[in-house]
Amino acid sequence: MSERVVIDPLTRIEGHLRVECTVEGGVVTDAWVSGGLYRGMETVLKGRQPADAYYVSQRICGVCPISHGHASTMSAESALGVTIPAGARLVRNLIEAAEYLHSHVLWFYTLAALDYVDPAKALEADIAETYALAQAAGTSTANFGAVQAKVKTLVDGGQLSIFTNGWLGHPGYAQDMPAELHLIAVAHYLEALEIQAEAARIIAIMGGKFPHFMTSIPGGTAWVPTEEKLDDVLFRFLRVRDFVYNTMIPDTLAIAPHYAGALGYGGGHGNFLAWGVFDRESMQMTDRYLPNGAIFADKGLTVEDATPDKVLEYVEHSWFKSESGLNPQDGKTEAVDTFPGYDVNAKYSWGKAPRYDGKAMEVGPLARMLVAYLRGVAPAKAIIDSTLTALGAAGKPEVLVSLLGRVAARNLETALVADWAIEWVNELIAAIKEGPVSFYEPIDKDSGKGAGLWEAPRGALGHFMNVEGGLIANYQVVTPSTWDISPRDADGVRGPMEEALIGTPVLDVERPIEPARIARSFDP
Amino acid sequence: MAHEDRAFYDQLAARGVTRRGFLKYCGSVAAMLGLAESMAPTIASAVEAAAGSKLYPAVWMNGGACTGCTESAAQATYPDIAQIVLDILSLNYIETIMMASGEAADEALYQTAEQNEGNFIMIYEGTVMKGLEGNTLRISGKTGLEFIDKIAPKAAAVLAVGSCAVDGGWVKAAPNPADGTGISMYLKEKGIATPVINLPTCPVNPEWIVAIVVDVLLLGQLADGSILSKLDEFGRPKFIFGQTIHDNCPRRGHFENGEFVYQFGSEEEAKGYCLYPVGCKGPQTETNCPIVRWNNQTSWCVESGAPCIGCANFNWVDNCAPFLGRMRKVGIGMGPQSGGYEPGILGAVAGGVVVGALGVHAAGMAATGRLGKEPESAPKQEKGGDS
Repeated sequence: MSERVVIDPLTRIEGHLRVECTVEGGVVTDAWVSGGLYRGMETVLKGRQPADAYYVSQRICGVCPISHGHASTMSAESALGVTIPAGARLVRNLIEAAEYLHSHVLWFYTLAALDYVDPAKALEADIAETYALAQAAGTSTANFGAVQAKVKTLVDGGQLSIFTNGWLGHPGYAQDMPAELHLIAVAHYLEALEIQAEAARIIAIMGGKFPHFMTSIPGGTAWVPTEEKLDDVLFRFLRVRDFVYNTMIPDTLAIAPHYAGALGYGGGHGNFLAWGVFDRESMQMTDRYLPNGAIFADKGLTVEDATPDKVLEYVEHSWFKSESGLNPQDGKTEAVDTFPGYDVNAKYSWGKAPRYDGKAMEVGPLARMLVAYLRGVAPAKAIIDSTLTALGAAGKPEVLVSLLGRVAARNLETALVADWAIEWVNELIAAIKEGPVSFYEPIDKDSGKGAGLWEAPRGALGHFMNVEGGLIANYQVVTPSTWDISPRDADGVRGPMEEALIGTPVLDVERPIEPARIARSFDP
Repeated sequence: MAHEDRAFYDQLAARGVTRRGFLKYCGSVAAMLGLAESMAPTIASAVEAAAGSKLYPAVWMNGGACTGCTESAAQATYPDIAQIVLDILSLNYIETIMMASGEAADEALYQTAEQNEGNFIMIYEGTVMKGLEGNTLRISGKTGLEFIDKIAPKAAAVLAVGSCAVDGGWVKAAPNPADGTGISMYLKEKGIATPVINLPTCPVNPEWIVAIVVDVLLLGQLADGSILSKLDEFGRPKFIFGQTIHDNCPRRGHFENGEFVYQFGSEEEAKGYCLYPVGCKGPQTETNCPIVRWNNQTSWCVESGAPCIGCANFNWVDNCAPFLGRMRKVGIGMGPQSGGYEPGILGAVAGGVVVGALGVHAAGMAATGRLGKEPESAPKQEKGGDS
């Protein structure tokens, strides 16, 4: 007997998402994921100036506006044939890094933690034992008594605010996880709110404000750093890095063993795509700190260079009328004239179905970390190998293709980015001390086609811009979520999130916490 | 100090906030609200009292949003986002951070509206999506419009956060393919009389949300209706949107002296000269950004070397682009008249008048020898679309 399970709205994500599954014998047997919003960015940008797209297209996503801004400005630079100066490369890497730290901390604590941590359970914790456990786990302490008292006030007062109607006490929470660990995590949930804000302040220094930043204009950056400002940037990066190493990573390693079962499902197709992010001097995608690459399940754990020519977008199951199977460089995004209704056998999403070399590809930190691992990026290899050992899976990177692997990859990547950010600040300070550094290169051309291929924290991002006579003739965006939440394609093949849901155990169909975990693990 | 007060300051201390820091902050909220510094203790005790009493019910609904305004709210300082949602508001529905999902989340929304009819605040983020009979935004198998229709009439007030909520934002920019609009406009169409407080800019500045929460809820301005006298004709709090960025800009002196930036990354930029020739919309944009700044007063657009793009203006994408081009059709202080409520007509008239004023001002300065060089041609990015 199969049952329909619907999670709509899927909360604690950016945007509006519906997850629908069939559950048979306590396991997900089929799934449909539907994006709920169409705003028409591509149409709005037509006929405007290339630099205006930098400002407007950031507004696709308020959690990753930096990445959209960078992809857009890179698409203009690619179309109009300009290479940004070395100073601008470092400034952009730094702004992007601050967004990664902001976004990953926010994802783990504010968005995802409540899938693994039960605030109600924190009420049972013994305070002295909580301090002892924090010390044993090597994670930071907090005023655990005050945090527990706060939770108690909320519960006793009957006004649960953001916890209203949450699945408190759900049997799907790890039953062997001590109450003290729940309390530690709740305390860090609150602390993380300050850390994500600190990371955002780094962006404010270099970009004016966050969300939505002002300075990475086509040609370079409008922000001209001084040593004093870079000191401020460095100090704040160090503070965030301290949190990542001494709170976030130990918390991950403390909680993970209680969800070890999540290494056994949630992997999906096993195809991965990364355009790569954080440029080196060469400005080559395969040479990026987190490099470009594609991995195919049917070829084993090997990596090949990824190129945008192999991307086609299908709309058989999407509410668009424009042709199916177009490459985004000359793609189209036109909504249907009449809404045909939601029907999983016909059209059921505002998301398109992009395919790479015909395959549904997962994008995101797991894709980036696997590509970096296979390309031999030393710090990525070191941190993945040591984590695999800690999880009892030494020498088996393939276990990362799972729910727990996806979560772990994101948190481990946070540590790498924090380290690199410190390196880049020091590099920039040294360069400024040495002599004049250039941050902006004027653009002379007024026509051309180009792509900005980059990575948002949640995965591979492409902006595609065609310019004619100084105005945008065509603009297309393929976001990370377009890849991950993709509906079925022309051949009926499920999207990555849909496929990852298959085989997920469901304890209680009325409160489907496990499928929600899978969906959120993509950080859509 | 009462027992509750100690508990309140313990909570602050647990998050690294000192009593002194908190009181200082209340002083800056007072300043932002246009109140005397001596009101700081009143604000502080209102926040303290809120922490010890029933929380004010609230729901935060996302329309066609990028979630940037929720993100921005998470950047508020004392009270920070944790205090706002745990000590001041009972924010029972907010898709982006709430614990509940699916039907349980919807129930939290409906229950809050039904159990607190006329006594809860509805915060609205994002564009009202009217395209395809509202199906351009689908939530829980329904259109986003159905949610507004049910919840808005029951709210004491709607707080429209960010330019999308105020007038449709970038989504409404030509050709407005998804038929987006602002919440006050939509409510008017539907004959829903709930008052709307508009907080434009993209995203909303979190300190303004804090100021409104303090002013409207804690100091009782919503309950006694006195908030309405503090709003301008466009529903914007006058204390936030009553002056132009240009009025308070720290680079204003360079404008007066005719010291301008003509190219990014130049020596003039390093000296912090005026960004008007590279497209700054500060003279046309009414907010207190230079005073309140962003991200815990860390910086703001012009301080980072970027021209203001005028995101507080109505229909800002159509009216302020090209963002790196000098604005010819609008002038100092034209603010909301640049479209939105009366697209085109009012904007053109007001723009003409104030452009003239700016010209006169510049000519006057040139005559007195204070304007060394008039802002010249805009940078190379400016091509077409200057209308």
